[in-house]
Amino acid sequence: MDLELSDIQQELGSSLAKYLRSEYDQSVREAILGSEEGISREQWKSFAEMGLLGLAVPESYGGAGMTFAEVAVVMEAFGRALVLEPYLATAVLGANAVVAAGTEEQKQAILPGVCEGSVFLAFAGYEAGQRYSLDSPATTATTATASQGLATDGTTASAGDASVTLHGEKCSVLGGDVADQFIVTAVEDGELGLFLVDASARGVSRIAHRQADGLGTASVLFEDAPAQRLDSAPAAEVVAEVLDTANAAIMAEAVGAMETSLKMTADYLRTREQFGAPIGTNQALQHRAADMYASLEDARSMALFARLAVTAESEGAEKDRHRDVVAAKIVVDGTARHISQESIQMHGGIGMTMEYPIGHYAKRLTVISRTFDDADSLTAELAQLGGLIEPHAADLN
Amino acid sequence: MDTLLSAQERDFARQMRQFYRTEIPESLRFKVATGQELSKDDMVTSQRILNRHGCAVPHWPEEWGGQDWTAVQRHIWLEEMQLACVPQPLPFNTSMVGPVIAAFGSQSLKERFLPDTANLDIWWSQGFSEPNAGSDLASLKTSAVRDGETYIVNGQKTWTTLGQYGDWIFTLVRTDPSVKKQAGISFLLIDMKSSGVTVRPIQLIDGGHEVNEVFFDNVVVPVGNRVGEENKGWTYAKFLLGNERTGIARIGMSKVNLARAKAYAAVTKTARGTLLDDPLFSARLTKLEAELTALEMTQLRILSTQAAGADAPDPRSSVLKLKGSQLQEDISELLVDVLGPQGLDFVADRVQAEGFSDLPLGAVDALPAYFNTRKVTIYGGSSEVQRGIISKALLGL
Repeated sequence: MDLELSDIQQELGSSLAKYLRSEYDQSVREAILGSEEGISREQWKSFAEMGLLGLAVPESYGGAGMTFAEVAVVMEAFGRALVLEPYLATAVLGANAVVAAGTEEQKQAILPGVCEGSVFLAFAGYEAGQRYSLDSPATTATTATASQGLATDGTTASAGDASVTLHGEKCSVLGGDVADQFIVTAVEDGELGLFLVDASARGVSRIAHRQADGLGTASVLFEDAPAQRLDSAPAAEVVAEVLDTANAAIMAEAVGAMETSLKMTADYLRTREQFGAPIGTNQALQHRAADMYASLEDARSMALFARLAVTAESEGAEKDRHRDVVAAKIVVDGTARHISQESIQMHGGIGMTMEYPIGHYAKRLTVISRTFDDADSLTAELAQLGGLIEPHAADLN
Repeated sequence: MDTLLSAQERDFARQMRQFYRTEIPESLRFKVATGQELSKDDMVTSQRILNRHGCAVPHWPEEWGGQDWTAVQRHIWLEEMQLACVPQPLPFNTSMVGPVIAAFGSQSLKERFLPDTANLDIWWSQGFSEPNAGSDLASLKTSAVRDGETYIVNGQKTWTTLGQYGDWIFTLVRTDPSVKKQAGISFLLIDMKSSGVTVRPIQLIDGGHEVNEVFFDNVVVPVGNRVGEENKGWTYAKFLLGNERTGIARIGMSKVNLARAKAYAAVTKTARGTLLDDPLFSARLTKLEAELTALEMTQLRILSTQAAGADAPDPRSSVLKLKGSQLQEDISELLVDVLGPQGLDFVADRVQAEGFSDLPLGAVDALPAYFNTRKVTIYGGSSEVQRGIISKALLGL
């Protein structure tokens, strides 16, 4: 049994940590957060140069051909530094969807741009009033053939070519504020499909939003917007796999953010003096900090559990993959809530300020535990999946 | 978690699984699986079978019956034993006094005690805690005054588990009252048949007789019964307690009990279906499953670090104790709650009189187990002691 990081992964983690310490410190982050776009395209270029954007993209499309395990290392480091750029949206959600569902041509057209940092992607799945449901969007796709004389975008269609248009509204599109290409779920003839839509195409409009953690999202309206099918694999399966992987990614990120939160909190308890002594000499606070540490270990364990689930290549792993990711997220959500709330409380008033970083970690953790689903509905889902342990009683069986 | 093991480790797990299920009598395993109390004979029978197959004391030095197993193999040995509901070797013999004698005892003590200790030909009791030395164990007062080649022992020990069966008792006694409390303690082996030793039962809130007080009134103990050096007993005790903490999470047992709660809930009717379908009950159960999985991953992570060559006791084992004991308590509560009103009576037998229906499965042991299990967050270093260790060793507070 070996659960340790490989040498390459350790090297990746430590060189990235070194970079972030010097080039992405609190003041750099504050400037990015205050900028109009809320991201730094320069940082993005550096990430591309470091090879981070195409880590899990096959080499034939300009990537490094590695696995999710390396992506998780990056996410954890990004969690420690609270990186604002849309890595999750582009390099995890977007790139994975294209790798899984794109045709050879589509992959050649999209992925090299992702790897070199010139293209932002965003996955547009959620719709108003449906919370985290992705199964049955109201957005529709319509196919018309050019020979029937229906509208196309006028440039690519020739006689006999089928053209697809999307109609509907998406919300909470992570990275949708800057995306160049959307990967959109829509229903056609009762079937869920995945579609690629150019953000600059006619019929596409968006309103940018900022989440509590500073990450950008968008509401996106598709009004008969021209689209390409991403259909080299069944859409429902692709969506499930892409979301499981993205969930595992934010769990790794959460671990990084929680680790830093706890470290900052412990530092504060050691140095902040009241009543003539460091507040960390109070047992009430020591024990609560110890509980935070226990939560952090739970989170590390379950982020690993999720990472192993989405990288497993054994047969029949698919059914367990989703179940394991769900179980992991239940625990990570609970620990993120625990650590983020306690770290503010133990910092006292300073923890409420924008100036001091602990609150920023709390904000990211608060968002993560509500990203892609929340603990309550995941708990219901895991129960519905039968849980992790087979019922058995010796006196019953 | 089997998928995390190497091929050899999986083979080893299969062997252990088969061994426990074929060699240990079904009747004994059924008792454990259904929470019935084990008699002294049951425990002796089980341990002797284990010992005959080299499975009672694998963590001891090889010359005294140990096995050259890796940390992972030892984990599998214990985990599979718990999953198969095999009565575990008496911890006072195999995890506590045995390793201390093997590490610090004279050759004659080793020869005299180790084979009989492994085979449970001698039943050991633990004489550590005193009425005024609980978590603050080093403040113990039982004295051993040197008189030529003997010690004269006076004082009182308490919480002596299964002391009613004890042949010998290993004790911490004060041999030098003039120095710092930790520095004046020795580790003494005392024959419980000696004149002046009195064992008095303590009734517990679970209705059972599990622990005792042991009184020493001018008990004469040969100096040769001292393990190691005089006044070095605290060092040996710390070594012993370190051994006690590993495996104290009892994850295998918790899995068995959760599976049991689940199976009972599935056959328990409510106004809305079965109890397993009840949203709040199912949420509680499901969260416990996820948390137990997190704890198991933490245990495997610690093992993996050990396998990678770290030798020192891992302070993260305090997290295992803290979390593992809490989970045991939570699961014991679930087993009471499955029963509803019929879980509230202390009963000796599920079968009532002619014409009356049987009590539900689990009705005999759930309530006593619930009250008995309150001990697990108290013994082996209470949860508060563990939090103290974590805040000091891991957070530097």
